[in-house]
Amino acid sequence: MLSLAMWTGDIMFPNAYELIVYILNFIGLYEPINNIFKTLGIEYVLRIIIVLVEIAVLVVFALLTIMFLTWMERKVVAMVQARYGPMVTGPRGLLQPVMDGVKLIGKEDIIPAKADRWVFTLAPFIVFIPALLIFIPLPFGESLIISDLNVGLLYIIAISAVSPIAILLAGWASNNKYSLMGAIRAVAQDMSYTIPLALSAIAIVLFTGSLSTVDIVSAQNGTWFGFIPKWFIFLQPLGFLLFLIASIAEMGRIPFDFQESEQELVAGFFTEYSGMKFAMFFLAEYAHLFSVSAIVVTLFLGGWSFPFLNLLPAGLVPLVSFGIFLVKTYVIIFFAMWLRDTVPRVRIDQLMNLGWKIMIPLALLNLLATGFLLTAGVF
Amino acid sequence: MIDIVFLVISFLTILSTIMVVRSNKLVHSAIYLAGTFIGTAGLFILLKAEFLAWVQILVYVGAVITLILFTIMLTRKGEEE
Repeated sequence: MLSLAMWTGDIMFPNAYELIVYILNFIGLYEPINNIFKTLGIEYVLRIIIVLVEIAVLVVFALLTIMFLTWMERKVVAMVQARYGPMVTGPRGLLQPVMDGVKLIGKEDIIPAKADRWVFTLAPFIVFIPALLIFIPLPFGESLIISDLNVGLLYIIAISAVSPIAILLAGWASNNKYSLMGAIRAVAQDMSYTIPLALSAIAIVLFTGSLSTVDIVSAQNGTWFGFIPKWFIFLQPLGFLLFLIASIAEMGRIPFDFQESEQELVAGFFTEYSGMKFAMFFLAEYAHLFSVSAIVVTLFLGGWSFPFLNLLPAGLVPLVSFGIFLVKTYVIIFFAMWLRDTVPRVRIDQLMNLGWKIMIPLALLNLLATGFLLTAGVF
Repeated sequence: MIDIVFLVISFLTILSTIMVVRSNKLVHSAIYLAGTFIGTAGLFILLKAEFLAWVQILVYVGAVITLILFTIMLTRKGEEE
């Protein structure tokens, strides 16, 4: 009976917690476990355990993704430059990230003599924690979301506004002029590109009327004329372009990598870091790459939705939608890596001109046009 | 349960507020001030005012603290003499 419901019924859950409870119920484990905790009078402990399991799965997923991305970046660069890239450890060099990790753990953790020890140690953690926190309201698939916040998009923008502080602290605490210059550049760039980023995201919110990421994805579920998916990229092509450029600039990847431009600043704000602290900056960078691409996919490319997904049996939808989400995200990630290999770095005055004189007015115009067309009832 | 969370958050908030005026370096004060703002956002979340909490993080932690740190770092270090 239950299995029939699983395959035919409508089993969409608000978050992964409900999905786990449903699966535990399905294999008949939830009631006995819950009764044990009930007799002890600590029912909330079970809830906390389930949430902790979710978080553990998320962190493991994030770390595996980061490891895979470091390998992928090297392979893509090698492909463009007609090399092989890492080939020795594991099949086609797939275990290279593990070797890198072992090497970095084994390295000496150097703190410069005149550095501010306390801030120097704190900064990598403040960089790394927001990079993981952004994953919380991301819809990885149908029902696969840790928490569907009412203000999900605002949460994402707010959390990503925290990381410039850590960059400034890292640059300042190293007591090195290259670090400080890199940090100041990074923060100036971050601040000026957050504005077009947020403005083009607001145009999406005008369409959906909700800041929740789940609502944004479900607004893109469906098709026009039976075959064109209802993704916001078709309604907001300019917004998509602005959002993509602004997020690549926020990540500090190559056309806009002033924070660590090697020819001028050694390595920017993490020049003085070594060992595990350096690894944390490195990991945060790739976590940021993944989360930003996932946000682009959620806002403009329909998230996990795909035409004719509703024809599948309901029990398969979470898994298949997770796969679709990953494929879309990796397309965006590949685009960012491809851009890194083909485009030279712009000058810093060009960067600021592009941000303040072109992208912000365009984003405002886009917002105005969207609001006007929506009020006029065109969409 | 929620009382314990409230006590922990308010204790940390007050502690970091005290440390803002107690620490010797301006940058440390700014970091503790960020802690105070994050603690306040936590209190807002306990009051089920999520929007206010994240706006607090965005405006105060994201913008105000960054501005304070910028000004501290771009002016001369007076406190080390």
